[in-house]
Amino acid sequence: MTMKTRYPFKSIATLLCCLLMFSAHAAERQQPKLGYNLTAISKPIPAPGFTLEDMDAKKFSLKDYRGKVVLLNFWATWCPPCRREMPSIERLYQHFKDKNFIVLALNQMEDGDQVFTYTAELEVAPTFPILFDKDSDVSRAYSVLGLPTTYLIDKKGNIRFRAIGGREFDHPEVEKQILQLIQE
Amino acid sequence: MPTKIINRRLLVIICLCLLQTRVQAAEVTVQKNSASGLLTWTSKDDGFSIELIQLLPDFVRAVYDKHGLPADEVERIAGYCDFGTIIQNTSQQQLSYRVSDWRYIDKNGKAYPVKTKAQWLEEWRKAGITFAWTLLPGSGDFGVGDWQQGFTTIKIDRNEKFDLVYTWTLDGKKHQGKIENMSCAPASLPTSQTTQ
Repeated sequence: MTMKTRYPFKSIATLLCCLLMFSAHAAERQQPKLGYNLTAISKPIPAPGFTLEDMDAKKFSLKDYRGKVVLLNFWATWCPPCRREMPSIERLYQHFKDKNFIVLALNQMEDGDQVFTYTAELEVAPTFPILFDKDSDVSRAYSVLGLPTTYLIDKKGNIRFRAIGGREFDHPEVEKQILQLIQE
Repeated sequence: MPTKIINRRLLVIICLCLLQTRVQAAEVTVQKNSASGLLTWTSKDDGFSIELIQLLPDFVRAVYDKHGLPADEVERIAGYCDFGTIIQNTSQQQLSYRVSDWRYIDKNGKAYPVKTKAQWLEEWRKAGITFAWTLLPGSGDFGVGDWQQGFTTIKIDRNEKFDLVYTWTLDGKKHQGKIENMSCAPASLPTSQTTQ
């Protein structure tokens, strides 16, 4: 992308003011409640493979998790529902991490600094791998149209469930579906 | 063929067409933010809800500047009448929507298509921009509990009122809703409000 002159804000104060006003506006509104329904994929399809790096440049390949149930979460730090559902994903991970279950959170088009700053703000920092889908190539392979979008992949590497929009992932109903996939 | 039969057939066809798109008597609420004065429209229809939140141009500028868009592109999208939009499948069935079917109607009753995410991305691609998020996805197939949010952009004079006609398909039937008398966020907030 050609880098051009950044938009000349009159002052940082104006920008902060706008962000605060919007935050207040959004906070005053009733945010959609996070549900727990996952959509079953009627004809399970093979999950597209990928290899991505985490913050420490460690490589992670989806194929390495064959034999485990994978929760694949597409997210970004600026996306409010992504932020809201993240703690429930961590709780879910803590619940199942020793039972052939892994979470791979694919950050979209951000860098390590942005993600590090965000995770530092959380009461409980995510302990599952956060990978960088810098050009959103993987999200395109999964036909992700908006954030957050989450897929549940079974032990054979097939996509079995999908959720568009934020969810409460440690809801007993979701845990039940994951447990069923683990026990297959 | 007798005229009577032709008229009857015509009547059946018209009835079928009317049944194809069910016009909803939506429950629309307008909420004014007590601090900013910005408006939010919420419409809850049969199985579908939509919420449109006025966005200040400076907020839109801040968002796209942060994502590294060139200044001219930041200014271009901030020049639209932008809304934060949340859409939800509130039914217990499969639901789909296509923004390309949505229309806004100006004060003269003329209808215009709502610009889609794909159209923005195509323009951004030509400008060398790879960023592809924040805009409301142009289409979606929602399962139970699915929802989505993103910006909707309307090309209209900032001071002009308009109606928004949106559609969705539920259980194979096309539905239509309408929010009347919508307006854009002001170009900026009065100084007294921004400094509070």
